[in-house]
Amino acid sequence: MSEAPAETTPAATASPETALLETALLEIRGLQVAFGGFRAIDGVDLTVGRGELRFLIGPNGAGKTTLIDVITGLTKPTAGTVRFEGLDLAGRREHEIVRLGVGRTFQTSVVFEELTVLENLDLAASFRRPLWSLLRRGRGVSEEVAAALETIGLTSLARSRAGVLSHGQRQWLEIGMLIVQRPRLLLLDEPVAGMASDERERTGELLTEIARDHTVIVVEHDMDFLRRYASQVTVLHEGKVLMEGSVDEVRADPHVQEIYLGRAREDAEDAVR
Amino acid sequence: MTAVEAPVEAPPVVRREPRRWQGPAAFAAVALLALVVAPLLLEPFRLGLLAKYLCYAIVALGIGLAWGQGGMLTLGQGVFFGLGGYAMGMYLKLHDAGGDLPDFMVWSGVEKLPALWTPFGNPVFALAMAVAVPVVVALLLGALVFRQRVRGAYFAILTQALAAALVILLVGQQGLTGGTNGLTNFFDFFGQDLAADETQRGLYLTVAVVLGVLYLGARQLVRSRFGRLLLAVRDGEDRVRFLGYNPATVKTLTFAVSAGMAGIAGALFVPVVGIISPALLGVVPSLELVVGVAVGGRFALAGAILGAVVMGYARTYFSEELPAAWLYLQGALFVLVMTLAPRGIAGLAAGLVRRRREAGT
Ligand SMILES: Nc1ncnc2c1ncn2[C@@H]1O[C@H](COP(=O)(O)OP(=O)(O)OP(=O)(O)O)[C@@H](O)[C@H]1O
Ligand SMILES: [Mg+2]
Repeated sequence: MSEAPAETTPAATASPETALLETALLEIRGLQVAFGGFRAIDGVDLTVGRGELRFLIGPNGAGKTTLIDVITGLTKPTAGTVRFEGLDLAGRREHEIVRLGVGRTFQTSVVFEELTVLENLDLAASFRRPLWSLLRRGRGVSEEVAAALETIGLTSLARSRAGVLSHGQRQWLEIGMLIVQRPRLLLLDEPVAGMASDERERTGELLTEIARDHTVIVVEHDMDFLRRYASQVTVLHEGKVLMEGSVDEVRADPHVQEIYLGRAREDAEDAVR
Repeated sequence: MTAVEAPVEAPPVVRREPRRWQGPAAFAAVALLALVVAPLLLEPFRLGLLAKYLCYAIVALGIGLAWGQGGMLTLGQGVFFGLGGYAMGMYLKLHDAGGDLPDFMVWSGVEKLPALWTPFGNPVFALAMAVAVPVVVALLLGALVFRQRVRGAYFAILTQALAAALVILLVGQQGLTGGTNGLTNFFDFFGQDLAADETQRGLYLTVAVVLGVLYLGARQLVRSRFGRLLLAVRDGEDRVRFLGYNPATVKTLTFAVSAGMAGIAGALFVPVVGIISPALLGVVPSLELVVGVAVGGRFALAGAILGAVVMGYARTYFSEELPAAWLYLQGALFVLVMTLAPRGIAGLAAGLVRRRREAGT
């Protein structure tokens, strides 16, 4: 297909644009998103550097998902710019942004239930192939997919239909599908929501492992999870960046405590713990 | 000890591949039945009917791909069927006329062969067009429509409107298309008398072989990565975008394949039945094809084929016995299947086989 981008692997960035090495991987400036009259995002600036693991927190409705939606082309901003590797993402369609190297998961996981775990991963790994080559039978498991299966701990379920997976396993499968896409920026929307504590732990380890060689933005407002796995945190509140800093700075901030206190009790307890 | 806790009716966790020999064995059995037994047992008239149903089955195969696998409910396959049919019909008319004007043109006062008709005197060109025109129309329509994310009922209505529009176009151009009567009165088919039993038997065999080959091709497609991608597009088009694929491309290509199949079916239909006319490709025939696929089982390619043949026989029987009730009967059947057995006959059969196997082991 004509869409095959110049880069084939994320590592092979030996294009002329690598003069952009000083620029951040993701640069958001003056971003605004309005739904009708309501501003879900209201003037957000955000810079994420290469190799960073950035946590994005904020109470319900703060605009975290909307921010990810804008970066990935699902929602069009009313104002502001999103630059990825110096490229303006405005007007690009979802699959084009994926092809540039931005991958995401969803708050409620969506895997293809009719396909097996292996087939889900294989499909995610194959998007750089020319379309006609997909017509081949495609048996066997590529090394990359096998490695991803191992990483997400679903090797023994490889040939099961994804429809039978538990909630946690689905989230892992989604993360696996993201890894095999070999993106340069991973956006995870609440990967541990609804997980049992052992699953959270497993996901945390997974996250740490992935963050070793990827740039990752994680939306998560579970304070406990944050304390264990986060370093750099951006706090979003009512569509604005409230503050940015280390986990400890953020947790010590009276403003942050207040917005979490003002919401739900559980959140409040988490926040002050 | 743990057996007590096992869920009563857990769905099969590991998708069980059917035993390796079963598929080929079933295919061989059906092929034997279609290629050897049927021509021996059926009298020419009955064999001709079966040939006609198998033409519909080719269209149904395409619908099975587009709708069953790809989730595109196309209510306008008659358009592609018709385009293929007219391409073939034009060649046959010119061939019979042997350099003169085709009969219907003379009757409607046309004096010179329209430029559009001229190249269709060449059978290779006509056959190529029977496939190429439907494919190109489907590619254009798909590129336009799927890019704009038109889907579901909107897509269905759009294709239906296309079928209605083509009928109006054909009827309006009497001198060019034969109007309501369409193209008919064919005598010679590549040097053979079309009315002869031998020719018809040969045509029947051709249709059966073409159907078999297309079925194998479609099956290959479904089992490839592309097939899985198609399924993914059906079940979660929006999610597929975030896997880096453009669903519009996948849908457009599949739609074009299904259109090409319908075109081939139309081209075969004309010598088999001896006519192509607007009444054979409008809204109602297009719908009937979809009903057949639903009844047979849209998620299985073999189900789509079976449905077309079953509905063909049902139509022939009922429209003779109770012509007024047929349309309603068909509608009722469609609703019944979609609500009670969305997987159609194929789904019911697969369920039976599974239950027997589980009981046996
Ligand atoms: N498509 C939409 N149309 C209208 N309003 C929307 C739309 N999407 C989001 N919103 C609103 O925008 C605000 C931000 O939503 P968003 O989903 O980004 O919040 P969030 O920070 O992800 O919250 P949560 O923690 O609940 O996931 C909410 O008030 C939401 O109701
Ligand atoms: Mg959210």
